[in-house]
Amino acid sequence: MNYITPCLYAFGASLAFAIVFNIPRNKLLLSALGGMLGQLIYVVFQLVISNDVILYLLATIAISLYAEVLARLTKSPTTIYLAVALIPLVPGGGIYYTMLYFINGDIDLGISTGIHTLLISGALAVGIIMVSSTVNLVRKVMLKSKTKIRKKFKYGKNT
Amino acid sequence: MTITQLSHVAMEMGVILLSNGAETYRVEESMHRICIALGAKEAEIFVVPTTIIISVTLVGEVPLTRTRRIHSRKIDLTKVSEINHLSRHICFEPTNYKDLLAEIRRIDTIPSYPYYLHVLAFAFISQMFTLFFGGSLMDSCVGFLIGIGIKLQMDIMSRFEANVFFTNIVGGLIASTVAVTASGLGLTTNMNTIIIGSIMTLVPGLAITNSIRDIIAGDYLSGLTKGIEALLIGAAIAAGVAVPLSLLRPFWGG
Repeated sequence: MNYITPCLYAFGASLAFAIVFNIPRNKLLLSALGGMLGQLIYVVFQLVISNDVILYLLATIAISLYAEVLARLTKSPTTIYLAVALIPLVPGGGIYYTMLYFINGDIDLGISTGIHTLLISGALAVGIIMVSSTVNLVRKVMLKSKTKIRKKFKYGKNT
Repeated sequence: MTITQLSHVAMEMGVILLSNGAETYRVEESMHRICIALGAKEAEIFVVPTTIIISVTLVGEVPLTRTRRIHSRKIDLTKVSEINHLSRHICFEPTNYKDLLAEIRRIDTIPSYPYYLHVLAFAFISQMFTLFFGGSLMDSCVGFLIGIGIKLQMDIMSRFEANVFFTNIVGGLIASTVAVTASGLGLTTNMNTIIIGSIMTLVPGLAITNSIRDIIAGDYLSGLTKGIEALLIGAAIAAGVAVPLSLLRPFWGG
């Protein structure tokens, strides 16, 4: 039960964000599911891994894969799915506590929380970069091999 | 299609894409694709988040260059998606100028979701994230109110064309004022959760995503611009939240 409720909240929040971003009506639910997926991955891997930067990285990889695949399937921009799904992973709490420690005068705690928050943001960026670059590369390799095959066929016909 | 018409179509589509929250590299790519598909010999396009420059060459004609400055940006991904469809359509089958213009006008006037739904969405985001970070039902209701307040405040300020950072500072200010007051009145016990949940409405999710995607695509200029925008918005939110926290807490004893 403790694992399911955050996912549902993430789903609700993502759905609302999808409306704020004016996402097309027929893709609202799909994009909101992305937000839920990220949280689900985070919660599931929490049982195995204790380092939460890695957890964020895994969750981001999952949602980026989801976004890229759905974008190809529905022939729409990847941003539609990615921007919405990313929001529940944004470390809002980290930013807030960094600020709170600083105004309370706990400079050491503030710095360590701040760096932790930066690491999490870095994990989000790296996750997206890894998946998007890989998908692009795979697509280009596939395109190239397709044209090569086509050329071979043409040769075969001519000769 | 004449060179003027061609550049006009490409420019209109690019403007809709850029001013509704598409990535910069997507704008460049689709404008280039449209120009080539409509019969241009060469098309050079340069896009930064505030400007589009396009230079088209047709066979046997003088090259034409146009510039457009983007003043207002909002987020409407329906339009981005529709323009994306249209540019794909143009590449596969030729369309004449009049139909294209009519289609672009139709996309430009697609209504977004009604206003009350946007307000409700803001309230809902704030409520859901308060629950998400471990708040109780009462906390989430305070979050709901803050969400409505932030949405109304942002719209009023954007009507007067206040800059983004100031808008976010005031948004953070509202969130933490209401939360500190609520906890001072004894309505809630964990104001931190409420504040975190309600400032999630201000998080620049699209700017973060777009900046990363622009950097991957090799568009460092736009990527860095958007990334710094996202960072500054985050700093603005934190600054806005900090003020009532340090000023009001001594009185309420939070």
